[in-house]
Amino acid sequence: MVRLPGLSPRLPARPAQTPGELPGWDEQWSRLVTVGTVDGERTFHVLDTLPALQAEGLAPAGTILALHGNPTWSYLWRHLAAASLDRARGGGPVWRVIAPDQLEMGFSERLAHTGLPTTHGPGFRRIAERVADFDAVATELLAESPTERTVTLGHDWGGVLSLTWAARNQDRIDAVVSLNTAVAQPEGTPIPAPLQAALAGPMLPLSTVRTDWFLRTTLALAQGSLSDEEKDAFRAPYRTAELRGGIGAFVADVPAVETHPSYAELQRLGDDIAGIDLPALLIWGPKDPVFLERFLRDLRHRLPQADIHRCEKASHLVSEDADVAGIVLDWLTAQFGAPSQAAGAVDATDAVGTADATGAAGPADNQRPATSQQTAAAAPMIFDALAERADDEAIASVDMSQRPPQSVSWRQLSSVVDGIAAGLQARGLAPGDRVSLLVTPGNNLTAAAYGVLKAGGTVVVADAGLGVAGMTRAIRSADPQWIIGELPGLTLARTAGWPGRRVSISPLPGPERLTLNVETSLTELIREGHAHLAAGEPLRTPAPADLAAVLFTSGSTGPAKGVRYTHAQLSALMDVLTRTFGMRPGAGLVAGFAPFALFGPGLGATSVTPDMSVTKPRTLTAAALADAIAAADCTMVFASPAAYTNVCATAAALTEAQRAACAGVELALSAGAPVPLSLMDQVAEIFPHAQIHSPYGMTEGLLLADIDRHDVAAAEAEGTARTGATSTDGFARTDGTADAGPGAQAARGVCVGTPIDGVRFALAPIDADGRSADELLTGTDAQQVLGEFVVSAAHIRDGYDRLWSTDQQAGRDTLDGQRWHRTNDIGHIDAAGRIWLEGRLQHIITTPAGPLGPGGIEALTDRDPAVLRSAAVGVGPTGTQALVLVLEPAAGSDPESGEPLAPGLAPLPVAQRLRAHVAAATGADVAAVLIAPSFPTDIRHNSKIDRSRLADWAAAVLGGEPIRTP
Amino acid sequence: MKILVTGASGLLGSSVAAALASAGHTITTLQRRPSGVGGARDIAASITDAAAVAEAVAGQQAVVHLAAKVSMTGDPADFEAINIAGTRTLLSAAQDAGVSRFVHISSPSVAHAGDSLVGEGAGPADPEHARGEYARTKAHGELLALAADSADFRVLVLRPHLMWGPGDTQLTERVIDRARAGRMPVLGTGAALIDTLYIANAVDAIVAALTAVEHHHGEALVVTNGQPRPVGELMTQMALAGGARRPKLSVPVPAALAAGAVVEKVWDLVAEVEDTLTDRLPESAAARLRETLSDEPPLTRFLAEQLSTAHWFDQRRTREVLDWQPRVSIDEGLAELAAHYGGTAPEPGTALTADR
Repeated sequence: MVRLPGLSPRLPARPAQTPGELPGWDEQWSRLVTVGTVDGERTFHVLDTLPALQAEGLAPAGTILALHGNPTWSYLWRHLAAASLDRARGGGPVWRVIAPDQLEMGFSERLAHTGLPTTHGPGFRRIAERVADFDAVATELLAESPTERTVTLGHDWGGVLSLTWAARNQDRIDAVVSLNTAVAQPEGTPIPAPLQAALAGPMLPLSTVRTDWFLRTTLALAQGSLSDEEKDAFRAPYRTAELRGGIGAFVADVPAVETHPSYAELQRLGDDIAGIDLPALLIWGPKDPVFLERFLRDLRHRLPQADIHRCEKASHLVSEDADVAGIVLDWLTAQFGAPSQAAGAVDATDAVGTADATGAAGPADNQRPATSQQTAAAAPMIFDALAERADDEAIASVDMSQRPPQSVSWRQLSSVVDGIAAGLQARGLAPGDRVSLLVTPGNNLTAAAYGVLKAGGTVVVADAGLGVAGMTRAIRSADPQWIIGELPGLTLARTAGWPGRRVSISPLPGPERLTLNVETSLTELIREGHAHLAAGEPLRTPAPADLAAVLFTSGSTGPAKGVRYTHAQLSALMDVLTRTFGMRPGAGLVAGFAPFALFGPGLGATSVTPDMSVTKPRTLTAAALADAIAAADCTMVFASPAAYTNVCATAAALTEAQRAACAGVELALSAGAPVPLSLMDQVAEIFPHAQIHSPYGMTEGLLLADIDRHDVAAAEAEGTARTGATSTDGFARTDGTADAGPGAQAARGVCVGTPIDGVRFALAPIDADGRSADELLTGTDAQQVLGEFVVSAAHIRDGYDRLWSTDQQAGRDTLDGQRWHRTNDIGHIDAAGRIWLEGRLQHIITTPAGPLGPGGIEALTDRDPAVLRSAAVGVGPTGTQALVLVLEPAAGSDPESGEPLAPGLAPLPVAQRLRAHVAAATGADVAAVLIAPSFPTDIRHNSKIDRSRLADWAAAVLGGEPIRTP
Repeated sequence: MKILVTGASGLLGSSVAAALASAGHTITTLQRRPSGVGGARDIAASITDAAAVAEAVAGQQAVVHLAAKVSMTGDPADFEAINIAGTRTLLSAAQDAGVSRFVHISSPSVAHAGDSLVGEGAGPADPEHARGEYARTKAHGELLALAADSADFRVLVLRPHLMWGPGDTQLTERVIDRARAGRMPVLGTGAALIDTLYIANAVDAIVAALTAVEHHHGEALVVTNGQPRPVGELMTQMALAGGARRPKLSVPVPAALAAGAVVEKVWDLVAEVEDTLTDRLPESAAARLRETLSDEPPLTRFLAEQLSTAHWFDQRRTREVLDWQPRVSIDEGLAELAAHYGGTAPEPGTALTADR
């Protein structure tokens, strides 16, 4: 027994109470429930929404049994209670929420104790007894109003307890959900520091009972999501040391060592949880300093069927930091529909009945469903082309960044890839193992990627443009089993603590190998692999439906998201590259744009990596590009607009021979961002015989639409304009017949051409509050309407990785029984079926006259001689926003009026000019024109303007605050 | 319809009365001075005169109540007598006389304590927190009017925000006069976004309210042009339209203020700390500030506060209830201002070429 000055070790009993009035809490939810437990009748305070439902005449069809952890209480589930009631009132599924406060926690009964809790001492609840308590309360309350569906939900130690109860009562429940929790402390891993501090001998009662340090520390983990009033509410049942015995007992019951009384129970329940054969959802806050990634990994292994949603910005109190209530309720709906209905009834769609709805489709929608949804089973796998050329001595790949340039024949490449694949399998790579590639584009990346793919691994690609923090977040979320990297990548992996077994490119010296924890190199792997193949061991290759890649987005609108691709989807993408751009065996291409470059070998095309820095596309010179072209008589060039800009800027230095090489190019493709016509024209001068194309796509759908230089010119020369009028159906609609004269067409945004063969574009119209509709428009109905683009094709992403809710949102459409992707890009489709981009969904400006996309207005604004670039943002409440233009000036003064262009209000002549043009082209009223001291942009492209930040900045300036840097 | 317009000697009141008269209504006006509205029957009396009020409402079907004490200075008792007691007298007389429609003209200041307003609707009038005697007493008056609302006596409250136009002495001519004298200051960054209301639109809105009150009553609506603008930009344009040169005088940003205080707050502080402030400024700047502020506050303190922080409103409900749209845009209003005062109207932007 621990004695502390100033506090009697005796803890008095206290009956259960109700909390009374608290923020976000309805007193109607509080119930006191007395049930028989392991040591007699005990009274629990329980959050129960049944009375509230009954008061509204609603009968529950399903029950959520929620259990809090330590040191919270059922207040943790107030958002879920409120959200479930809201949905029930609104006609949605009626879920009852039952969330007891554990015994000696929250407002439940306190027992009398003669001493403070210790790790081995008696008298306080332990895991097994807590599971029994939960069973008693759940059984009692479920009997009051039996429901068709019952699910469990837990957080922290409430997670593991509720999962344990669920595992042992699988006949009574239908699904399990857990937030951050830990089932087992993996052997050999240190206890998280915060718990170590709490557990250390005399510290235990001091930190948990004697003081409210543990309580305060836990509440401080919220990522700014808890108000002071809410923190007080969490502390309300733990005001005095006498009320905090349960907190200490909980911490004391963490079985950190084998001799602990609860150790054996924890091992048992871990096995039981692995036996759960029910739908499962894990919602995770990765910023949690206690329940670290390894606990999620452990849970994934025990519950391989689980859907996972990571809330990248959330910490331990994930249900405070993120909309857990919404995700849980959405997931339940996805699993069960409205639980009162027969299971599966909601899955029945009338896909057959709507299949002919595309009959009247225009050019933007001219694909038969069958074309884009064909099964790719018969299509070649990405590594097949290499095997077919295993005896071909022709050049497959040239890496111009090596000194001297390194050429690899098809025979060599095929052999190396087989060696890597076999070597990885020999070392234990299992199907679906994730392999993070930290290798710069070139022969090594090509070999590593194809080796991993052929071995059935999943390549994980996170762009260095994400920055160290962004890459770390991405790689932790993908949680690769392997990392193949060059020295800088491996060093970063070591420093940032990324997971995975390490493989270098070439063998490293002993000390370095040790420091970086590298177990082998590609060189060694290839040797090992060939030995295994020579010994007749077969190479196990993946199936088309297997996961091939997780590619991370640029993260310009929040944390980067992992995008999953199966082999079949990669095959479909190869098919598109062949059909659209003629990438096929025998062709030669310069691969200056990574995503497409990787497909050259798979298509039997010779790929040349130019000498440039991958992360700095602006380092590509005209001479380096010409040399790359000459290296394999390339007829195709793939690069980003930034690279082309520098190529054009350095074109004067080209020699006659280099110019001749450039003259052989038939297709110059610029991907990654829309290309201005002026740049296209300059590119055309360097490649006089080439078509200049600019495809539109994204990580989730790499090739969706395409436009060539002549069509860009044609689009710019035409003159139809949006009227800005809102039609009777409430959707902003363009009047395609109004002719507002030259230049006005720019108000429609950026034309990215027409859909690529096999891609369908539909449109989800945008309402007055800036939300895109659930119903999709296609064909002529979709024309001249501002909406979110929703695309379908065989080669769009399989889904988002470990982002169940995001995946659900982006893939919720079922039109014509096809797979669709909500792009988050907004714009419209014109009468000719061309796609016009007007910005991102979250950047819509919701004026009282209707929603506006920023892109069209910016395209118009950017033409003003005073403007270098601009952002159109909305200031004020949704639905009644003021339209504000924020400018980056082209010069120190306005070329027309001579007025200085300094940060703050734009000079009157500039404001009046822009206001008049925007009004003429769109009918929209520009409230203010501001000049920003600088423009915030993303790291990867240095071109995606952070409009949300500029909008906040504009709101501050227009609120009368001083001008700061956005 | 037989309509009583109170306060018809002011610009807005007389314009409303004239508009209603020319629409064929039978107009009576009530104020101390003649209304000058052709065809209207003037009753020359104060709203505080119960007998005169009773005479004025007799036989009316509708009342538009504009009479108010608006100035910034004065005896609080006067404000209360006119804006509270006068309104009470008028309401009860109108109810007694069987009037069925009552349009009460109030002010957005009744609901706000001087903080920034960004796309707000019309909150409830709050006399306790309203700033100054005018806002406080108008808030009381509005509450009285809304309390009197019933199915038989339908009350609709309009709160026009920062009205301007030819002949307006409250804002427009103050700006123009100061600018002509070279003493029109630009407040701080001049970027605070404000809503205003062109006079002709205010008149239309009040006329529309007389119809709308039949179906929508018992609520208050802020009325603006729905075109928020940075205050510095609009004041400059008013000055130019008024024939003044472009205001160059900006409120100085001395080191003492630059350290943290927001420059626009100068206008908040004018009344209380003018002396203290000028003590802290460099002498030349202090002299200029004194000159700017000396004779009277160049704009009233109330107005200065309105002009120093964001003040703009959600007009969706207003337009829905009144079934009304502003007829004159800000640029058109400025053109009319220029025609009236002989100044410069805003130029339409030059056509942009397709290529730079």
